Amino acid sequence: MVFNSYTFVLFFVLLLVLHNLPFSWKTKKINLLLASYLFYALWNPPFILLLWLSTVVDYLMARKIAESEDKLRRKLWLAISLILNLGMLSYFKYGGFLLENFTAMLNGMGIAYQAAKPDIVLPVGISFYTFVTLSYTIDVYRRKFAPEPSFLNFALFVTYFPHLVAGPIVRPEDLIPQFKTPRKATSEQMVWGLFLLTLGLFLKVVIADGWMSEPANFIFGLPFPVNPLDAWSAVLAFSAQIFCDFGGYSTCAIGVSLCLGFTLPENFRYPYAAIGFSDFWRRWHITLSTWLRDYLYIPLGGNKSGSFRTYVNLMITMLLGGLWHGASWNFVIWGGLHGIFLCVERLFRGWKKKSKPMVAEEIIIQATLIPVRNKNLGNFLLALLTFLLVNITWVFFRAPDFSQAMKMLLCMFGVISQGPKMLSTPDMLKIALVTIGLLGFHWSMRDKSVKGLFMRLPWWFSGTAWAMMLILIILTQKSTSSFIYFQF
Amino acid sequence: MKTSDYLKAGWLAFALVLAFVIGWELYWRSQGFELSYNDDESLWAFTRKRIYNTTPARPVIIGSSRVKFDIDQTQWEQQTGQTPVQLALVGTSPRPVLTDLANDPDFKGTLLVGVVEGLFFSGDGSPMEIEAKKRIDVYPKWSLSQQASFYLNQHLESNLLFLDEERFSLNSLLKRLPIESRAGVFVFPNFPIRMGYTKPNRQTIFSKAFVADTAVQHGVQYVWSYLGMLSNKKGVGGDTLSGIIQSVKVNVDKIRARGGNVLFLKMPVSDPALAAEQVSFPRKEYWDRLLSETGSQGIHFADYPELSKYVCPDWSHLAPADTKPFTADLIRIIEEKTHWTLQKSPTSNHPKQ
Repeated sequence: MVFNSYTFVLFFVLLLVLHNLPFSWKTKKINLLLASYLFYALWNPPFILLLWLSTVVDYLMARKIAESEDKLRRKLWLAISLILNLGMLSYFKYGGFLLENFTAMLNGMGIAYQAAKPDIVLPVGISFYTFVTLSYTIDVYRRKFAPEPSFLNFALFVTYFPHLVAGPIVRPEDLIPQFKTPRKATSEQMVWGLFLLTLGLFLKVVIADGWMSEPANFIFGLPFPVNPLDAWSAVLAFSAQIFCDFGGYSTCAIGVSLCLGFTLPENFRYPYAAIGFSDFWRRWHITLSTWLRDYLYIPLGGNKSGSFRTYVNLMITMLLGGLWHGASWNFVIWGGLHGIFLCVERLFRGWKKKSKPMVAEEIIIQATLIPVRNKNLGNFLLALLTFLLVNITWVFFRAPDFSQAMKMLLCMFGVISQGPKMLSTPDMLKIALVTIGLLGFHWSMRDKSVKGLFMRLPWWFSGTAWAMMLILIILTQKSTSSFIYFQF
Repeated sequence: MKTSDYLKAGWLAFALVLAFVIGWELYWRSQGFELSYNDDESLWAFTRKRIYNTTPARPVIIGSSRVKFDIDQTQWEQQTGQTPVQLALVGTSPRPVLTDLANDPDFKGTLLVGVVEGLFFSGDGSPMEIEAKKRIDVYPKWSLSQQASFYLNQHLESNLLFLDEERFSLNSLLKRLPIESRAGVFVFPNFPIRMGYTKPNRQTIFSKAFVADTAVQHGVQYVWSYLGMLSNKKGVGGDTLSGIIQSVKVNVDKIRARGGNVLFLKMPVSDPALAAEQVSFPRKEYWDRLLSETGSQGIHFADYPELSKYVCPDWSHLAPADTKPFTADLIRIIEEKTHWTLQKSPTSNHPKQ
């Protein structure tokens, strides 16, 4: 079930009614759990078995890990959990990719081999719930907290429908404590939750699906090169589409959850206002980047094992982060590019720190330089540079294969300049309007929050802006199209 | 902001949206538009589910817009007691759908294939094929959730005129703004907003405004001219044509091997589009060759005075008043040609003109 569907509207209304009836807290949690299974099963019912398997095994393994004092046994129980979760993920997500590359490798070695094409359907959200359950067993293994005694609370933590299929990737400490005591949204939470749901749907339905998907899909789907302006427009369109699609989903998830009285962690913080790539990853898919930091980068040694090892760890983390998004070399390249940019940024910062003038020198320089460098403008230009580089990486993320990605880049940088013009003026105007609007909004909101803005404005202004978003959603009429991140 | 202000903002938004929806709906109703259903992936998938247990009286129809406009399903049902399964897709080649049905081992029914040469004989990977393939790709992934949304949406669409994506969605209205496009860019032209409407059975019908107003008809003719309907450019030939016909034969043979039937239909078309078609796609080289090489039967409108007596107001599709007698004659001719039993009681039910 997707948030932008009539089915969800009906489901959500019924669930809200059930959640606000005077049932016991346990009954309400059972309702939420059953509703979450229904939410998931309406895509492809048999895949619910995988979810159950993961839930049951991780619940049991975590208990065994906590009970045991024997190091070897604890490792064994953890290994069972890791093998099951990562095994399922590998089979369903990377089975075809591995076989394809194995076949290519054999053929490259001169061994004629043709594997039967595997007919594997990817279960929706498997990458997300695998990470959710993994963090639980790993944290119990690290003795960060005791295992959850209630199976109901644990199953609801794994399956809770707002985060189940596309995040935010919740940690046990984010959600399990909230299930321990009865919760119901206050009227303020309910209104704010509905506002966030509207904002998320506006981003998804109006901007991502209504305006940006068509030109991006059109240009990226063409088998021939295009004019440089069209190539840039398509990449900018995708840049807006991917943020509005995924950021929209997270905003909907947070809003829906709030209406039920539960808070989910923030997943996006105006990423296109990022100054540099480390800042970008503090603002883009925050729950994934923190997961990768805590369960991959730091266990690899982080930045504590010397300078060279830090760069290696960064690259490994970003390459695997890229592969997490999909079984294709393009995603690996995308992750690799982010890794390279992070390394270059780190090198630059290190060099800048070393070559920083002495305090007295700095005061002299500042006193003699007239006018003093405008820090805000400099930061804005750095944010634009970051946005430009992020857009280049998006080419690999969106293009169906490597050759198509290279063709787009050659068009963008004028190496192929004779391609035809393909996008209409209204499409170009929409892309320009959305890109400027998005950059402007992200920059102006860089250190603020939507809630703060909502609270500062007079109620009639907030109400009118809310109504405008709803009207545009109704007018766009693009319902039930899937979210891009579901495929990951 | 206080809690009471949150509530005030929420209630204001609700009131404004409600007022807008009522006003928007009343506005379009006051303009005299007919209710239309979105002919989208979901409606196609819903119809695709009905292809099993088809018979000559309840055939599956594939093709392009001509069979969608010209075969009147109400008339068909009146004469045969059965409703055909309309799977034709506007502006596409029916060959991908033919392949899809041929590869479905459970499809053993009767298939009527509308042939518009410019679309049917388009090469592999053409936009006409890609568009058709999009629908086919959606069908196996049409989830339970999407099906539930479709049923809810059908109820809303039955009552709200403005829920017509093709005519009244934001994108559709924005596309109608008089903004000049960049030189050299092909922009798909807009059909007049009053051209026609679609029924839940996927039948498309010209509107009353279209029939009454020659300016609207000229608007449609302009689109056809822009899209090259009057072009005398020769269609595909050589190996490409042989390959297309061969692929059709393979699919037709698969359906026949399971006990199914396939019949090709060439629907009416009027001058000057007819003249252009005769130059671009001479009958002998395309239609006749298709039938002989696939070993199939076909009904070409030009062979029957009953079917060729009509003038298509937009050159390409029949007027609503003509579709009923046309369908009645078509059913009779199919029976005579194939010896299939279609009608409940033959020779009856011909509509009064």
